[in-house]
Amino acid sequence: MEHREPAVHLDRGFWAVTFALAIVAALSVFAWVVAPISGWLPEAANKAQQIDALFRFLAASGTALFVFVVGYLLYFAIAFRRRANDPPDALGVQIHDNNALEFWWTLIPTIFLVILVVFSIKIWAGIELGPNTGLTVEAIGHQWYFTFRYPQINGEVTNAMHLPVGQPVTLRLTSADVIHSFWVPGMRMKADMVPGLINTLHFTPRRVGRYQIICAEFCGTLHGEMDKQWFVVDPPVKYAAWYDAWQKKNSTASNALPVQSNARVAFGAGDAKIGQQLFSQKCTACHALGPFSQRIVGPGLLGVLHDPAHPNLVNGDKATRENVAEILQNGYKGDMGQMPNQTANALSNTDIANLVAYLDTLK
Amino acid sequence: MAVTAPQPGGIADHIHPEPQGFIRKYVFSIDHKIIGIQYIVTSFVFMILGGLLAELIRIQLMNANGGFMTPDTYNEVYTIHGSTMVWLVIVPMVTGGFGNFVFPLQIGARDVAFPWLNMVSFWMFPPAGLLLYASFLVGAPVAGWTEYPPVSLQGGPGTSMWCVAIFLVGVGTTLTGINFLVTALKMRAPGMTFTRMPLFVWAQFATAPLVMIATTALAAALAALFMERQFGVPFYDPTKGGSPLLWQHMFWFYSHPAVYIMILPVFGIISEIFPTFARKPIFGYKMIAFSSISIALLGFMVWAHHMFTSGLAPFLQLPFMIMTMVIAIPTGIKVFSWLATLWGGKIQYTTAMLFAIAFIATFTLGGISGVFLAAIPFDLWAHGTYFIVAHIHYVLVGGSLTGIFAGMFYWYPKMTGRFMNETLGRWTFWLFVIGLNGTFVPMHWLGLMGMPRRVAEYDPQFQTINQVESLFSFVMTLAILLFFVNALWSIRHGKRAGHNPWHARTLEWQIPSPPPYYNFKHIPTVLANPYAFDEPVPYAGLEDELTDSPAPIPAGAY
Amino acid sequence: MRAAVAADQFYQETRDLRVTGFLLFMVSDLVLFSSFIFAYLYLRNTGQGWPPPGAPHLNLALAALNSVALFGSGATIHFALENWKHEKFMKFAGWMLATIMLGIMFLSGQGIEYYSLYTVDHASWAGSGVFGASFFTLTGMHGLHVFAGIIYLTVLLLQAAQGKYTFKYYTGLTLGTLYWHFVDVIWVVLFSIFYLI
Repeated sequence: MEHREPAVHLDRGFWAVTFALAIVAALSVFAWVVAPISGWLPEAANKAQQIDALFRFLAASGTALFVFVVGYLLYFAIAFRRRANDPPDALGVQIHDNNALEFWWTLIPTIFLVILVVFSIKIWAGIELGPNTGLTVEAIGHQWYFTFRYPQINGEVTNAMHLPVGQPVTLRLTSADVIHSFWVPGMRMKADMVPGLINTLHFTPRRVGRYQIICAEFCGTLHGEMDKQWFVVDPPVKYAAWYDAWQKKNSTASNALPVQSNARVAFGAGDAKIGQQLFSQKCTACHALGPFSQRIVGPGLLGVLHDPAHPNLVNGDKATRENVAEILQNGYKGDMGQMPNQTANALSNTDIANLVAYLDTLK
Repeated sequence: MAVTAPQPGGIADHIHPEPQGFIRKYVFSIDHKIIGIQYIVTSFVFMILGGLLAELIRIQLMNANGGFMTPDTYNEVYTIHGSTMVWLVIVPMVTGGFGNFVFPLQIGARDVAFPWLNMVSFWMFPPAGLLLYASFLVGAPVAGWTEYPPVSLQGGPGTSMWCVAIFLVGVGTTLTGINFLVTALKMRAPGMTFTRMPLFVWAQFATAPLVMIATTALAAALAALFMERQFGVPFYDPTKGGSPLLWQHMFWFYSHPAVYIMILPVFGIISEIFPTFARKPIFGYKMIAFSSISIALLGFMVWAHHMFTSGLAPFLQLPFMIMTMVIAIPTGIKVFSWLATLWGGKIQYTTAMLFAIAFIATFTLGGISGVFLAAIPFDLWAHGTYFIVAHIHYVLVGGSLTGIFAGMFYWYPKMTGRFMNETLGRWTFWLFVIGLNGTFVPMHWLGLMGMPRRVAEYDPQFQTINQVESLFSFVMTLAILLFFVNALWSIRHGKRAGHNPWHARTLEWQIPSPPPYYNFKHIPTVLANPYAFDEPVPYAGLEDELTDSPAPIPAGAY
Repeated sequence: MRAAVAADQFYQETRDLRVTGFLLFMVSDLVLFSSFIFAYLYLRNTGQGWPPPGAPHLNLALAALNSVALFGSGATIHFALENWKHEKFMKFAGWMLATIMLGIMFLSGQGIEYYSLYTVDHASWAGSGVFGASFFTLTGMHGLHVFAGIIYLTVLLLQAAQGKYTFKYYTGLTLGTLYWHFVDVIWVVLFSIFYLI
């Protein structure tokens, strides 16, 4: 079927709108170019700057494209509405296609994407193909905390990952149970911690400070709690001091076993009132103040030390203060599920004494 | 009559009498139109359930420390929310629902190729949905709709029920895919060559093989997960030599094409609505059809872009990044063609058209953030965060769901013979658009600043933004409730629409509303593609179909 | 005359639909097998070397004999259909029976193999690591297909004996043959990946 193509007139309104959109797009590009991204989120490592540069490029071009699409959409939607004085079955201009136009709007995005691919590959190569040099540190994901291994430090470092500023690092990541993801927003990077597999991240810390480490892959009940550990970038001297302290502290630990906390808990000093506060902050997500059978994640703890129906704890030990404290220190893994240890729950031995004193009051 | 007119004696004239009785007619029906409506209604019922779960999520997130639900309950809620919306709402709605109702009508067929199979496919869907919700009774799955092992191996007994439920839905959609592909290939009316097919037909034609192939791969992954959970057969558990990444490969080999299963038919809906209400041919018909096919093909080659942080070998990462970016080109062609369709039109502002216009803006936003995520270095930043949550919701809510609403307002008169209420429709539209953007725009920021997805509690610095999002989500819920009120009310009280209220030109509008049991008295002959508005409607053999005349155009000019 | 033409056209069109639908069904069945084959090859190439500890030694001779039976059945069913096309019912029935017998032989062979793997090598589905998982899942799935095929062909044979198919209209028989060839081809792949590489 032959269609006589009607003449296409792009009128003055169209060009005026195009000009206005171009200005808005240019302004938004400018805004992204000067945007203080490192002010919103500090750039902890060298790779963060490169990823931010890519993000600036993406955000600027994406915003410009969005401005044009939505701008034209609104303009056409308003300018080409059927007016009150149009007949009800008024027709639009009967154009079916325009090969030149279609050619250009295929070619221009293609060129843009080629640029984007080249830019991305350049940055990607720096991140993925970096040499395995410098300090090698291992990070291990657990349900639901991270631990870290350092050369010459026995056992695992449990609270925070310290690294010296300015020195290249290879971070080797794996998991002890399920998949976790090691994410430091300040570094812009993450890598999954997959059991049975070692993934690596290469970077050079470039700014002294503390940065949140967050788990970015669902890993079980308390996934949301895995944002309470820190990546600390120290000046070299401070790092060396920290390193020595850990080395001394762990001189007796074996590399084969996870840290077991054996420090004695001073029960006499326990304060039930403080324990009650602690319980409501730290325990109620998983434990109800009800009978054993009232289970949230773990069992209900009302009368845990005084329940004739349950003379033993979930790990089979007798329900004594010492054994409750032992679970609080080392955590639990068994038929009932899992409970993190005192490091992951951020409990000091004093806290444990207070909690045990409180639990002892529940009958 | 033309030489291509149907000869007596073929399938086209092999008409069974219409079944009588409520059960045969409306429950175990083999009529594609009834089955389509069954799919739509069932999907909307599950959408109410999934939407309630979404609001539970938003209530929980109004407080940084959670507290509304325990973490385990929260994990169950968002897992079932995601699974519901993907497998029980959008996929069945756009393939089984609109596909069944509209697509055989548009190609001038009396039914799909295998009507009995069609009924069987549908009846796998409601039991599967009920099974999924029954998993709440025994401890629903917790690991999100992606159910990555090993954590999904730890999940409660409900996780195995999830496997079975999704498997069942999958078998149903696979059979639908086979059915539609045969229908599209073999049952088009005489004269309906490939270049004369309406674009919604093109969209279904591109989707059917995706459904057929990808869903089967998912079935294998689910079967393996089920066997591992129930019988200890090792596939994924690394302590027994399995590989957690194997699941990710098999799952995403399905689930990335699934994204296109959910959006391609919606592209088709938009491509029908735009020309009808702009009173203008669709711009670049061939390029839109071609881009549907190329998106479907490319969709199979990009699955590992969900695994850039998982530990994929570097030499595999690059091709997946490049292929993913290539998909932006056909998608862009579609968006530009729709814009050009508006240019020079005489746009009638019905609610369907409003939703279709909003679709362009919201879908474009989701598409642009998709290109961001394709760039591996940026993905290392944003993967697994609320940025992803924002992206997926812009594509599925801003894209698929917006398009579904457009399609509902557009085809409701064909399904029921009555209009949906336009005033309520406008309220629905504005509340929906405001709620949608208010809920999901801030999530981009949250994700980049450090809020991971699937958390029952989060850093208090994000609390205010989350509360604002929750408020907007209530607005969106209100809009959706208005839609349901409208749809139910209009069945009996809507204004009568006549057979072709929008003066549309595809075949389904040339026969009465609702269409009779066997659709066409005589199978028509198609003479041209339907989009030339200045020509007479290009069908021969429709003289006997109509007993009423076209109604006047309902929506007033602005 | 007109009725005959109409019946013929109806038959041609439904045949077209059924054959296309059946082919597409086999495509998606093929994807199901391919997914598990991918899983097997993936596990084989990403683990700690192959064969993994505990994997039994497979009996190549028995499997080869079995393969001959199954490939032979591919030939016999081809002869069966050819004879039907030449309107020779008894020869058709004979070749069909031969096909069914070969199918049963194959299944028995597989049963013997499973039995010896279980008793001699203590290999099992869940207890032999990723080897047992892949091997028993894939060969088991294939065995189920053979089993279904035997029943399918038996039904077809009985239906043909009752006169459900004519020498002009016999789509059901064509589809059965297609299915059997499909099962054959899958076995070629499984045999290669488990016994030969």
